[in-house]
Formats: sequence, structure tokens, C-alpha cells
Amino acid sequence: MGYLRINNLVKTFNRTEVVKDLTLEISKGELISFLGPSGCGKTTTLNMIAGFLDVDGGRIEVDGQAVHLLPANKREMGMVFQNYALFPHMTVFDNIAYGLKLRKVSKVEAKKRVLEALDMVRLAGYEKRYPKELSGGQQQRVSLARALVIKPKVLLLDEPLSNLDAKLRQEMREEIVDIQKQVGITTIFVTHDQEEALAISDRIAVMYEGRIEQVDDPITIYNQPKTDFVSQFIGEVNKIQGVVVGGENGNESRVNFYGDEQLLPFQLRTNEKLDFFVRPEKIVITQKHEGEGFQSIVMKKMFLGAKTRYFLKVEDKDLIADIPNTALNPHSIIEGSKVQTFWQAEDILPSRNVR
Amino acid sequence: MKKKLPSILLSLSCLIVYLFLLAPIVVVLLSSLTTTEYIVFPPEGVTLRWYIELIEHPEFIDSFILSISVAFGTAIIATIIGTMSALAVVRREFKGKNAIVQLIGSPLLIPSVVFGVALLQFYSWIGLATSPLSLILGHIILTVPFVMRLVVASLVGFDRVIEQAAMNLGASSIRVFFEITLPVIKSGVIAGAIFAFITSFDDLTVALFIVSTDVVTLPVRIYTYMQYQYDPIIASVSSIMIIMTVVLMIIIERVMGVGKIFSSKN
Amino acid sequence: MELNTRVDNEIVLMQKKKNFKKRRDTWLLLIPTLAIFLFFFLLPLFFLFVTSFKTFDAGTGIGNQWTLANYIQFLSDPFYISVLWRTIKIGLITTIITIIISYPVAYQITKAKPRMKNYLTLLVLSPLLISMVIRCYGWVILLSNNGVINQTLMTTGLINEPAPLLYSEFSVIVGMVHVLFPYMVLSIMGALERIDPSIIRASKNLGASNLRTFVSIVLPLTLPGIFAGSVMVFSLSVSSFVTPSILGGPQVKVMSYITYEQVAVMMNWPYGGAIGFLLILVATITILIYSKVLSKSEKGVAIQ
Repeated sequence: MGYLRINNLVKTFNRTEVVKDLTLEISKGELISFLGPSGCGKTTTLNMIAGFLDVDGGRIEVDGQAVHLLPANKREMGMVFQNYALFPHMTVFDNIAYGLKLRKVSKVEAKKRVLEALDMVRLAGYEKRYPKELSGGQQQRVSLARALVIKPKVLLLDEPLSNLDAKLRQEMREEIVDIQKQVGITTIFVTHDQEEALAISDRIAVMYEGRIEQVDDPITIYNQPKTDFVSQFIGEVNKIQGVVVGGENGNESRVNFYGDEQLLPFQLRTNEKLDFFVRPEKIVITQKHEGEGFQSIVMKKMFLGAKTRYFLKVEDKDLIADIPNTALNPHSIIEGSKVQTFWQAEDILPSRNVR
Repeated sequence: MKKKLPSILLSLSCLIVYLFLLAPIVVVLLSSLTTTEYIVFPPEGVTLRWYIELIEHPEFIDSFILSISVAFGTAIIATIIGTMSALAVVRREFKGKNAIVQLIGSPLLIPSVVFGVALLQFYSWIGLATSPLSLILGHIILTVPFVMRLVVASLVGFDRVIEQAAMNLGASSIRVFFEITLPVIKSGVIAGAIFAFITSFDDLTVALFIVSTDVVTLPVRIYTYMQYQYDPIIASVSSIMIIMTVVLMIIIERVMGVGKIFSSKN
Repeated sequence: MELNTRVDNEIVLMQKKKNFKKRRDTWLLLIPTLAIFLFFFLLPLFFLFVTSFKTFDAGTGIGNQWTLANYIQFLSDPFYISVLWRTIKIGLITTIITIIISYPVAYQITKAKPRMKNYLTLLVLSPLLISMVIRCYGWVILLSNNGVINQTLMTTGLINEPAPLLYSEFSVIVGMVHVLFPYMVLSIMGALERIDPSIIRASKNLGASNLRTFVSIVLPLTLPGIFAGSVMVFSLSVSSFVTPSILGGPQVKVMSYITYEQVAVMMNWPYGGAIGFLLILVATITILIYSKVLSKSEKGVAIQ
């Protein structure tokens, strides 16, 4: 029972389909992120939902009503833009009140709601300022208040944080989630920043070349990516090669990685050479030279504060391992030395040719 | 010292140019005060006699009122239709766009004498009598190119996302234009209107052909008077116009800042 | 499947409707201007063009026969050729003088602090706001026989009788320079402001003197601006009427003046029209040369 339903959505620019048969259901009050590299169709999809672009096929429904044929000004969607898009000739108050004025809300009521909205985005007292007198973060908050004050059916956020600096970006994203949960509004958050998507979303729709690759909650997306693209785009991965040495029983196979054999939960054909992925933080290294795993050479190490990144080499293949400094003192590992390297079988992500 | 010499020379040469620039204007202002029967500079004595004598020349006042109304009409119409064409040219794709842009820009390339002659011939051919309207129509042709250029310049730098934002909040395209777009490109539009007003008010060449004995604009009145009379009345009329222009400029400067009017970049 | 086709039809219909509305709105925006330009600009000029190929009739001004005589008469009469040459000569001299006096001013304004810059720009542009007739009248007063310049020259004993300053090519050029100078300043200022300050710093850093930097860096970079300004000043100068008619009068006949004279005094419409179109030709050729050179160099600035 989706509140916002997108069915078989198609958009074509110059005979190229930039959105291909996209279907998605979003429940009421949910915060869903559209995550993908630039050109993946996420902003195009958002613009079709908002009504800034005509759909070339398919259907968009909100609360059971088709909206894809309506003009943008009749869709009741609140949008927050990447560059804030505040009206430069209006004060903060007038910016936020504009949507209410269009809805013929009485002056008294409008004033009350604008002040409430300002309070919500922690900008009380800024109502007489002009946009150019505000910092980027403040402008984005005004933009959020302006979108929310009209009580839209859906809130659309188009890379709202990408023009802010790193620290502010983190603060703002927490604030956005707080407000979203407080208001309980159905929200689409478009971003190319996976960390952002992972941190705030109820669900993430990973998009690539006009298609949704996977829709799932952040933990599933991260730990059980369904496609090669998702594996490689979300978080970092090492591509590793293994040779299937034998199937144990129906759903498991024994695979040899650089001399170390592991039992994996996939049914594979014996003697095939296959690609797998493993995340850097799932790799464990020790100075012991025995037990599980295989030997690799430390080519370089990079201290990153809480963790250290080790660049390893095994059989001419590069491997990256991120090890928490609490688990291993970086001083004890010398560049050029050999280390014992291993990972748990359940941390192996299959690639396309494995599935 | 060695470093400063070039900059002193620069300032000095600029100063001379500024003096050259202001000289004729100052000369007109000062010689309007002369006590002599003929125009002379420097003025001999100081009197306001030539301002008072203007009362005996109501034709100057009539012409002034005519010129103001023609300039006003021109500015309003040229600004509206020039802004409309600028919108179409910047925001829409259509066949023959280049040709249309060239056409609207071409009055700048046509000497106004030739245009004046052509218009006079056309008016007499279709039997349109001289009236403020016939003057306004001619002046619209002279001024729309300026309006369009200035408005195009401010539309080109305009980020249309704020229009999307307004639409998203529920504004119809008409409301978006009047409440969002127009206020933001205001300085370009106002600059266009001022330019149109001044060009129309100042026009001698085209008006010289179109005016009739009872419909005479101020520049034409001054021009013809100058050819037959040499008394300081012209200086006093001119001085009043100069002073008005200066006052107008100060008001505009107070209201919106002159830098904004002239620099279309902001 | 059936449902899908129906929905797609709806979408196609909406898009068609939108496209139609868009096209209609585009033309609605353009029609007022196009209508006025068609009726009060193109049509009159076309009629005048047609007229310029007609014979002269003493009674009505325009005769019935077709002829090329008006153009041939102009191009074969040394008097009219001398008028054409004078017009071009005045245009060229005016252009050169405006370049020379505009450059330092433009340079000083771009170097000035923001506040000062505003005031200086205003100072340069303000003459544009004052009626051209009045400005020329000021020069009439200054340059006349009993004007301040002749008076000064005579009291200092440099000359014995007033020099004929007024109603000469000299006075026309003075007036032209005065009227057209702001256009050149604006054009050069535009070019100067486009120069990246780091280029100048780089040049000085490499050991170039101020003069050297100016000659080898600043001047070449502003050439397109100078060129654009020159085209504007030249074409405005050859087509201007007010300045030559007030400061030159019948003594300094230029193309625009004889056009006026033929029509308003002689009532010879066909000949006036022919002179007018030759004048348009001169102005157009200038612009054409300009755009040719511009597209060749590809670094010029558009005429503002």
C-alpha cells in the first residue's frame, strides 16, 4: 500500500531513455533516498515527480490520485533545491509566507505558521533578513521551512546539502531527519553521497543508468548488495578472485582464495575462476604467520585517525584493509613485511557471475 | 617620485577630459544668467530675466509637456513590448529566432535621418496625421532595441530554479512572472524604461520630420528657435532641462543606486 | 497492456497541449513588437527604397518612371562624393580622438575604488542623459566668434581677428567626440575589467616594468574593446544628424544633412532616399567588416 506510487516511469531526452521503466512504492511518512552517480536519472525522476518535467510514459500517484498529468503548481509537493532557490527580493518571512499567500491563508494564520516553521528550523528572529544576509546553512533551513509550511503531501529534497561544507552537512542532515520524523512527512531525498543516504534513510533506492538497482534499508543495502553496481558504489570493496575447488553439498561451495579455502553459501561449478567482493573493514591482518588466511605484503600504510589503511599485495593483486587502531597498533606493522590476512566467509559479497 | 609621475600624468589627463565633458553644460547654465540681449560666455552680470521671459513663450511649455507625454508613452510601451520580446528570445526556441533578433536590433544600424524620412513618407502615404501617437510609434522603433538588450542581459543571468520553487509552492505561471521573475529582473527593466524615456525625450532627428506646426517637441522647438534667434531664452530653457535631469538622476540614485542602472552585470 | 496504452495516450495528449500552448505563448510575446516593426519600420524603409528608384517630379516629389539616375548622379558628382568622403573623414578622426582620450579615463575608472568608480562612471555617462541639442548648443556658445575661446586668443594677442571655429569640420568633430566619447569609455572599460588581475601580477612578477606590462599585456588584451568601441563610434558618427547640423550647418555638409536637405528643403524624395540608402550602406559595411574581423580573431567583445 504505497502512499506515493511510481509505475513504469519513462523519460526520454533526444531518443535516449534516461529513466527506464521505473517502478517504486513509498509508504506514508517514509524517508527514502535516491542514491546514484550523476547522470543516473535520480534528479530527472525527482523533477518528474515535482512536475518540472513531463513524463514520457508511466504513472505517478499520490494517495491514490494520479498526479503525473498535473502542472507543477497543482501537485502539492514541497521541494528543497540544491542551491536553496530562495526569492532574493523577499525577506525570510515573505519567502516562507509565499506559499501560504498563494493558498489565501489569512494574514494572522499565515504569520503564526511562518513563525512556527522558523522556530522548527531554529531560525526564530531571522524573519526580516534577506537571503543574501544568511549563510548557506541558514538559507537551506529557510528553504526547508518554506517547503514544509504549506503542509505538502510529499517533501522532495534535491541534493540539499551538497553546497554546504562537511561539518555543516552532518549537522544539517541530522536536523532534516529530526524534522522529517517530527512532521511525519513522506520524503524523497536525492543525493550522490552514500554516507548521507546510509545515515538518514528509512530505505535507499540505488539508481544506475535510469534504473533502480536495489531498494532496501541501509543495512541490507550495505551488507547484502544485490548487484555489482551496488556492491561497488556503496562503501568500498576489494575485488578478489577465487577458484571453486568443490561443492560440498547443495547450497555451498568450497572456494580457494590465494591458497586459503573457504566454504561459501553459494552453489557454484567446480574449477571456475570467479570474482567476489570484500569490504576493506572486513579484512583482518595479524603478524602471526599461521592459522586461517594467507600471507600478503604490506606495501604502504596510511594513518587515518581511528583506523589505519593498509595497502596489501598478494599474488600481484592489490588489497586494501582498514584496521581499527584499537585492534592493531599501526607502529607494529612495517612496510614491506608479510602479514597473515583473512576474512570471514559471510563477509564475502558475490559478483554478477557468481549469482 | 619616479613611481608617482605616470599616475599624476594619468590623473591630469583625465581631469582635462572631465573638464571637456562638462564644459558645454556648465557654459549653458552660466550664460543663461547674462544681462545682455544676446548669448555670451562668460555672462555679463547676473539676472534671472531670461527665466522670467519664458512666461511670454508658452510654446516652450507646450512643447515641454508634449515631449514629456511622448517620452512617457514611448517608455511604457517600449518597455512592455521589449520585455515581452526579450522573454521570448531568451526562453523559447522557435524557428526564425535569429532573424527576429536581428530585426529588432536593426534600428540601431539605420541612421535616424533615413528612418525619419521613411516614416514621414509612410505617414503621408497612409494619411496618418501628426499626433503624439505618430511620434510615439516612431520612438518605439528607436527604443525597443535598447530595452530588449538590457532585459535580455538581466534574463540571461537569471537562475530559473527560483521560478520552479514558486511553481512548486503553487504559483501559476502568470503569478510567477509578476511576483518572482519581474521583481528580480527589475533593474534591467527600469534601466530600459529610463533609456527609452531619455532617447524619446532627446530625439530631434526623427521628430524633425514628423512634427507639424502645432505638434512640436521640445528638441525641435529649441533647434528651430536656435536657427533664427540668438537671445539667451534658449539657454534658460536648456538650463531648466539640465537641472531637471540632474534632480531626476539624484532621485533615481537615492531610490536604487546608479551603479545598478548602468551595470547590467549585477 | 490495454490500460497502459490508454495512459500513454493521455500523456501524449498532455504533451501536445503543452507544446501548443508554449508555441502560442511565444508568438503572443513577439507579436506586438513584430507588428509595430513591420508596419512602422520595415514597410516605411521598403517604400523609401522603392522611391529611391523613381524619377523626381517637381509637383508631387515622386515621379512615375523607374530609374537608377539617383544613385548614378550621386556617385558621379564630385560634390556629392566629397560629402561622402567628408562624412567618412569626420567619422575616422572622431574615432581616433575618442580612443586617445577615452583610454586614460577608462583606465583610471577601472583602477578606482568601488565608490569612486561609481561616481566617475556617472560623471562620464551623465552627458548622455542631457539632450544632445543642449550639449551642442553649449559648444556653439564656446566656439562662436565672440565665444570664450576666441576672446581669450585675441586678448592674449595670439590672433587678431576671431578664428572661424564654429560651423567648421573642427567644431563638428569637437561636438561628435563629446557626444560619442562615453560609448568608447564603456567599451574599453568592459575590456579592461575582463582582464584577470593575476595576469598583470604574473607579468610584474616576471620582472616587467609597469610600462612594459601595459604595452605587452594590457593594451593587446583591450584591443577587442577598442575595436568594438571604434565600430560603434564610427557608425554612430557617420549617421549622426544633430551634431553636424547644429555645429556644422550648411557649411559642413555631411550625408545625413544632405539627406535631410533633399527631402525637407528640395522636396526631392527619390534623391533623398537614394542618399539615405547609400548612408545605410556605409554604416552596414562598417558593421560587416567588424563582424568579419571578429569571427576571424574570435576574441573580440560584442558591441554592447
